[in-house]
Amino acid sequence: MVNPSASSAGPDPPKPAAKDPKKKKDEKKDEDLSDEDLALKLQLELYVERVQDADPGVQKLALESMRQEIRTATSSMTSVPKPLKFLRPHYGTLKAYFETMPESDLKKYLADALSVLALTMSAEGERESLKYRLLGSEGDIGSWGHEYVRNLAGEVAQEFAKRQYEDTPLDALMELVQQIVAFHMKHNAEPEAVDLLIEVEDLDLLVEHVDATNYKRACLYLTSSSSYLPSPDDILALDIAFTIYTKFEDYTSALRIALFLDNTQYVKQIYTSTDDLLLKKQFSYIVARHGLVLELDEDIAPDDDDREALQEIVNNVKLSEGYLALARDIEVMEPKSPEDIYKVHLIDGRASASTTLDSARQNLAATFVNAFVNAGFGQDKLMTVPSESSSGSSGTWLFKNKDHGKASATASLGMILLWDVDSGLAQIDKYLHSNDNHVVAGALLGVGIVNCGVKNDCDPAMALLIDYISKEDTIIRIGSILGLGIAYAGSQKDELRIRLSLILGDPKTPLEVLVFSAISLGLVYVGSCNEEIAQSIILALMERADTEPGEPLTRLLIVALGLLYLGKQDSVEATAEVSKTFNDKIRKYADVTLLSLAYAGTGNVLKVQKLLGYCAQHLEKGENYQGPAVLGIALISMAEDLGLEMSIRALERLLQYGEQNIRRAVPLALGLLCISNPKVNVMDTLSRLSHDTDSDVAMASIISLGLIGAGTNNARIAGMLRNLSSYYYKEAAHLFCVRIAQGLVHMGKGLLTLSPYHSDRFLLSPTALAGLVTVLHACLDLKSNILGKYHYMLYILVLAMQPRMLMTVDENLKPLSVPVRVGQAVDVVGQAGRPKTITGFQTHSTPVLLAAGDRAELATEKYYFDRPLIYVPPSSL
Amino acid sequence: MGQGTPGGMGKQGLPGDRKHDGDKKDKKFEPAAPPSRVGRKQRKQKGPDAAARIPTVTPLSKCRLRLLKLERIKDYLLMEEEFVANQERLRPQEEKNEEDRSKVDDLRGSPMSVGNLEELIDENHAIVSSSVGPEYYVSILSFVDKDQLEPGCAILMHNKVLSVVGLLQDEVDPMVSVMKVEKAPLESYADIGGLDSQIQEIKEAVELPLTHPELYEDIGIRPPKGVILYGEPGTGKTLLAKAVANSTSATFLRVVGSELIQKYLGDGPKLVRELFRVADELSPSIVFIDEIDAVGTKRYDAHSGGEREIQRTMLELLNQLDGFDSRGDVKVILATNRIESLDPALLRPGRIDRKIEFPLPDIKTRRRIFQIHTSRMTLADDVNLEEFVMTKDEFSGADIKAICTEAGLLALRERRMKVTHADFKKAKEKVMFKKKEGVPEGLYM
Repeated sequence: MVNPSASSAGPDPPKPAAKDPKKKKDEKKDEDLSDEDLALKLQLELYVERVQDADPGVQKLALESMRQEIRTATSSMTSVPKPLKFLRPHYGTLKAYFETMPESDLKKYLADALSVLALTMSAEGERESLKYRLLGSEGDIGSWGHEYVRNLAGEVAQEFAKRQYEDTPLDALMELVQQIVAFHMKHNAEPEAVDLLIEVEDLDLLVEHVDATNYKRACLYLTSSSSYLPSPDDILALDIAFTIYTKFEDYTSALRIALFLDNTQYVKQIYTSTDDLLLKKQFSYIVARHGLVLELDEDIAPDDDDREALQEIVNNVKLSEGYLALARDIEVMEPKSPEDIYKVHLIDGRASASTTLDSARQNLAATFVNAFVNAGFGQDKLMTVPSESSSGSSGTWLFKNKDHGKASATASLGMILLWDVDSGLAQIDKYLHSNDNHVVAGALLGVGIVNCGVKNDCDPAMALLIDYISKEDTIIRIGSILGLGIAYAGSQKDELRIRLSLILGDPKTPLEVLVFSAISLGLVYVGSCNEEIAQSIILALMERADTEPGEPLTRLLIVALGLLYLGKQDSVEATAEVSKTFNDKIRKYADVTLLSLAYAGTGNVLKVQKLLGYCAQHLEKGENYQGPAVLGIALISMAEDLGLEMSIRALERLLQYGEQNIRRAVPLALGLLCISNPKVNVMDTLSRLSHDTDSDVAMASIISLGLIGAGTNNARIAGMLRNLSSYYYKEAAHLFCVRIAQGLVHMGKGLLTLSPYHSDRFLLSPTALAGLVTVLHACLDLKSNILGKYHYMLYILVLAMQPRMLMTVDENLKPLSVPVRVGQAVDVVGQAGRPKTITGFQTHSTPVLLAAGDRAELATEKYYFDRPLIYVPPSSL
Repeated sequence: MGQGTPGGMGKQGLPGDRKHDGDKKDKKFEPAAPPSRVGRKQRKQKGPDAAARIPTVTPLSKCRLRLLKLERIKDYLLMEEEFVANQERLRPQEEKNEEDRSKVDDLRGSPMSVGNLEELIDENHAIVSSSVGPEYYVSILSFVDKDQLEPGCAILMHNKVLSVVGLLQDEVDPMVSVMKVEKAPLESYADIGGLDSQIQEIKEAVELPLTHPELYEDIGIRPPKGVILYGEPGTGKTLLAKAVANSTSATFLRVVGSELIQKYLGDGPKLVRELFRVADELSPSIVFIDEIDAVGTKRYDAHSGGEREIQRTMLELLNQLDGFDSRGDVKVILATNRIESLDPALLRPGRIDRKIEFPLPDIKTRRRIFQIHTSRMTLADDVNLEEFVMTKDEFSGADIKAICTEAGLLALRERRMKVTHADFKKAKEKVMFKKKEGVPEGLYM
């Protein structure tokens, strides 16, 4: 009997504040009640009297009628139901009588009634409603309406805390909790059910109560709560969500959670829990997007052919193919030259007139722009132009760069041929046999870049590069080491560990080589907490820090160390302890960097507070740990939207008060927070800072402008950068940064993104983040790294580069065009009904591009539909 | 909103923004940073506050997630506070600001003349005009927040060279600012006799959506946007509106329909726009338009320009009530005693969702009203109010008040300290007579 009172009292309780004057009035105007009110009042008074009657029959009848009155009462949501109002004066009497009553069914009935009356009458904190409920008949809880249940839930939570504190038994309470949860789940109030269960610390109960209609909403609520819950609870909430998803066989959603928890065991469990090959393909696509290196074994796919097919998807082998299909679909295959990006003709005035001297730096910038813009397309206008002679025009462009510039130029070929292992290696191969060491180094790096995120069965990168790492020439060694690092990021390849650790251990290794080996190891073993590697990096660091403490490169060693613990929170403690023994000059730096990397993407407020504390200190001469602290704030708080926006605010404060070294890092932090997501307010701030008097601040903000617009083709940022290019036309360093930023904005002609987050901003790809962090740390000292001779570090960004496309393939993995609606994602957690998940949508056919904050849903009913990035609709089976 | 301070001072005055000194000596004058945007001001962005605004928190309904999110925001704010407090202790910002400010004041000179920005030419130049004389092509000083300049805004100009040195931000029409009810009226819900269902309806439609939006969210409906109160004169429409104003903490703007009729063409609609813009800015807010029939009558072929203007004002009102731009937390209460003459477009659901009728008081209500009005009077023992309550004459609430007042006056005239039954009788006759006086009796005889 879900009665009228449920619907009427469903919304909130009487507003005490608004009611007060009226209540006073009620009392004094009792005499002029309307007739029916008066009748009701008399009736109720009669019931009250009869309840205290000696005859149980009369009592029972009176109680029954009283219940009836209360249950059927309807009234507006602004006022107390009339029966409750009229019974108010008798609450005390009834209570007193209840105490004197002998134990019987009737007493229980009365307890029920009292429990409801207590809803409006018991004093704050008394929890009488709960008290009488526990004494009562334990009947259907919902019959008294939502409001009653809601109130009861609140009291249960309080009582639970009290009893737990006093260590009194909780069984009766838990029984009630069961009832309440069941009621809530049945009545579309999943958030309340979950809240109550969190309060009483028994989320497991939820699994029993969800059903096929409401598990999605409950899990959505759990997952979005998890990013705000304190430490052990969040994992628990996600675990429960995982259990529920698996219970309802929503394996793709479960997989997302498994990936979030970074729990390979769970991932395997999901794979084994279904026999549907198509579903497994879908899983593989999600795993591939996340960048998880996964070896599929017998259990996962018993059939060899199937396993091979799945492994191919996980290895991203088809990535290049899909990407090019997208490019052809939206007709951007035509290669672009750097001039197409600069759009000099749009700049009015002197800058265009005085084309600056064709300096090496300009050519280097053009190389990078060319590489970023044509990334993955396999053709461009500088490097791969079909050549008449064997040396060809590509050769001419190559030799327009000098020294280490040539390395970057050759490596750019790797970027252009990104993901296309077969033809890429063929094209790069000829440079491996060059006489010029720089060219060879570049080619080695290029090989690494081509293989980034793509795993080929023959392991060509390993085969080609591993021999070069012990060559004589420094630059060749760096090229091969960095190439390996990029190609095998996140793979935890044992062979690399052995070989690179040897280099770390060798005291004769030049510092540069040492640093890049460490970084490569950091990338390969990102987030692995590998103690051995940590040890060898620490040893190298201690040794070198004493002899060459001033070298800015030394700091990257610390970053490499931090990468091992990326996002692993507490696991870093031991290493952090060791770092306390470092040389004075880098001790604090190491401390801050390790902390910030270990808690990256966790949203841990306490750590943010700690880092802000570092920023508030005043530095002694020569200390520089505030830069990483600022970056750390961004790294930690980028985990969820609120933290992100709030830390943008906090960074504004840092700008206001901070000293130069803080101000230098703030633009980079902003760039990281809004990567590939050009928010207008951030854009404005960066635009303002890009004219700063401090050249480091200005350059950092120019690069960051590129980062926030990376791969978006954002016209406003492009315009700003064009203006900046004319503003800084005389300053080579600034101009270089502007060019790089321009290249980033038009990255992949607008088909790529640098954001490490994917899948509704829920999952964080560790390798992508590792790449970003390394580059940003290098940017903290622009002059000696990026603007110096280590500009090829910019290629590490490739780790974060992902096509921002949504593709659909059929069961044979052939691209399939399906209409989808693409629009701005809406937060629908805890909303009533079936709210729209996207707004302002347009209908396109796949493949389509998704911008930051976009979400897509299938527009037809024809296909099986699921959330993740690459849909595999098993057609109309 | 004060006068004259360039909006972006807080941000622009940062040390880094002092361009072109120090290391860039080789450059001559360079153009300053281009404004990120020129032209019409963005609605939502109100100067530096926009950056300081905290993010919105979803879901709206009360739940733990919302609590956690709000707590997270609080944590960040606390950290910010701690940081700022630390920095302030170490190096007070005040002095530096003071210094900068005095420099700016020097540059501005005094007195400054007030002018109008006609056109923005480029980042640093604009065409301005003052109330007298010709238009000038002048430069804009670098400390003026260019994001806030837009053609047509009021600016401050240097008294000699006429360059733009500041802008007047107080752009709220003074006509609108007087509409804001600063002091809550004294009448509360307790002063209303009867009208229980009306009070309840208006609470549901106007107050609850502002105080408890989550109720509507929970059930999945959009709360009503506005109500219209209608009924015979003197039945308490305005009184109820006053009571709403008294009890709410939202901004209460009140207008009389006739105020919206202005002397010049286009002023009326402009005022309506301003009114709703201010309401939106100060939201949550309640707009109360009394005597809406002044502008809201049915459209028909207008003969005079004046009538057409009134109709245009109404059209603007229609648009503001449910037009293209969505309004946030602005609720509208209209009041009239001639609902039948109003334009149907004004009353359609979506604009005005609820029509609340105020009938003449019934016997019970009449008793209540008598009680309210006589509760502070000293009555003689012989007074029998029931006689008046039970009478067949049609009283409105206002009539009853008039009777009580009149009775009191009669007693005063005879220098009595108590009001007697006879006084009331006389008063009633007088009031009833006056009421009928409006109709020339002979006409119907």
